[in-house]
Amino acid sequence: MQDTTKPLGINWIGLGTIVRREVSRMMRVPIQAFVAPWISALLFIFIFGFIVGGRMPMIGGHKYIQFVLPGVLMLNIVNASFLQSSSAIYFSRFLRFIEETLVSPMSYVEMIAGSLAVVVVRSTVTAIGILVIGIAFGATKIYSIPEFLFWVVAVSAIFGLLGIVIGLWAKSFEQLNMLTVFFITPLSMVGGVFNTIAMLPPWMRWMAYGNPFFYFINGIRHSMLGYSEVSQTLGYGLTITALVVMFLWVLRLYAKGYGLRE
Amino acid sequence: MPTPALKITDLRKVYRSGNVAVDGLSLTVAEGDFFGFLGPNGAGKSTTIHCVTGIAEPSGGTIEIFGVDAVKNYREARRLVGLCTQEFNVDPFATPRQIVDWMGGYFGMGAAERKSRIDYLMERFELGPHEKKAFRELSGGLKRRVVLARALVNDPKLLILDEPTAGVDVELRRVLWRYLREINSDGRTILLTSHYLEEVERLCRNIAIVAKGKIVRQGTKDEIAGAPGGLENAYLAATGAEPDHVAGQ
Repeated sequence: MQDTTKPLGINWIGLGTIVRREVSRMMRVPIQAFVAPWISALLFIFIFGFIVGGRMPMIGGHKYIQFVLPGVLMLNIVNASFLQSSSAIYFSRFLRFIEETLVSPMSYVEMIAGSLAVVVVRSTVTAIGILVIGIAFGATKIYSIPEFLFWVVAVSAIFGLLGIVIGLWAKSFEQLNMLTVFFITPLSMVGGVFNTIAMLPPWMRWMAYGNPFFYFINGIRHSMLGYSEVSQTLGYGLTITALVVMFLWVLRLYAKGYGLRE
Repeated sequence: MPTPALKITDLRKVYRSGNVAVDGLSLTVAEGDFFGFLGPNGAGKSTTIHCVTGIAEPSGGTIEIFGVDAVKNYREARRLVGLCTQEFNVDPFATPRQIVDWMGGYFGMGAAERKSRIDYLMERFELGPHEKKAFRELSGGLKRRVVLARALVNDPKLLILDEPTAGVDVELRRVLWRYLREINSDGRTILLTSHYLEEVERLCRNIAIVAKGKIVRQGTKDEIAGAPGGLENAYLAATGAEPDHVAGQ
């Protein structure tokens, strides 16, 4: 029989097992997980770099494709992280294999951390792939690697946590996609991917400042180009606050058993 | 008095719909016992098991596993238990080896320990030739073996089996019975639910019958099944159903 007298510390093996399981699940759909965002980035480079880009003015001393690509990269990080965690949680609830972790001696923090680790891996691989493609086609550069990694990890964790909330809440595939359709896509499109704040009419600028995607896109753009439209400290502050609030929210949902336990 | 393997006191479970699935159920299973937990569909057996193992949140009462509170100290309690569920709650695209390996991982077992335990379980349940097939490609009997192997991967002190032989052929059923007797004689406590009264009669030493969320009869197998008509009549009388000779009139 197993030794059950040893005190329970952090269950690193359990946490690693969640990562192994989710990586295995992700690798069943490598084209959807990695190739699709890379092809999408290539198309953006082709359209905004070679077709439209030549007719656009320089922005902050950068070519239009250089201005657009960080936003495209951020859109892909947001989508990859949200899809990864929401589908993982939803399918494990739908097929009930989430019960495997519920009956095990894993803590809620370990379960959440395991899910987020996979989200961060997927988003980082996606982001580095797009960065490499961008550099190879002269469509981008890198200004600060630590800053770049901060934005990839922090934003993917925020949307990974949001994906967990939706995965716990959704009772159908339709509900699983609602946040993407009504919140993520619209806010990201008007969050400064294609334009600067200065390009907007003055009465619309407050909307950009109230849009969280603006700070994420601006942050990663600064890490790639060194160009920013708003204080970096404000962007970091808001992002870290959002991360902490989201984590505490998800932890509370797990502790209450919301969407997990009957 | 020795600490019981499982002690449930005044357990209550009310679902959000208002359905009272378990209504003040109390039960004690001694360490080393082979305990039969019987009742008709919807009586509250699976809900009770779900509350014990953490799949469901109890609405009231207490659950202790080897003296450890299963709600307040859930991590300590859960490492003592193995659960073989009635339904196939697994990732259908995963292989039997992956399913059992992941479960061992959740229980914190190291790679070498997992490998040797899984090799043993694959051989014991004759899953070797099927260990690399997707779960969804397996027959019902093989699927049942996989969920049983998964329940045993952490070598639990308390093994809970929720209808483990449902849909299983006679041959495999006998193999499973032999194995369960063997691990019970090694000191593991087993709580078994089953609709096969013959199975409970053959394996269990103590029996509880549950109906409408409450224990309606409890005792040793001899006390319950020893009367004329055996376990079947005792079960039907306790659950309020009519025996065959009455129902047929």
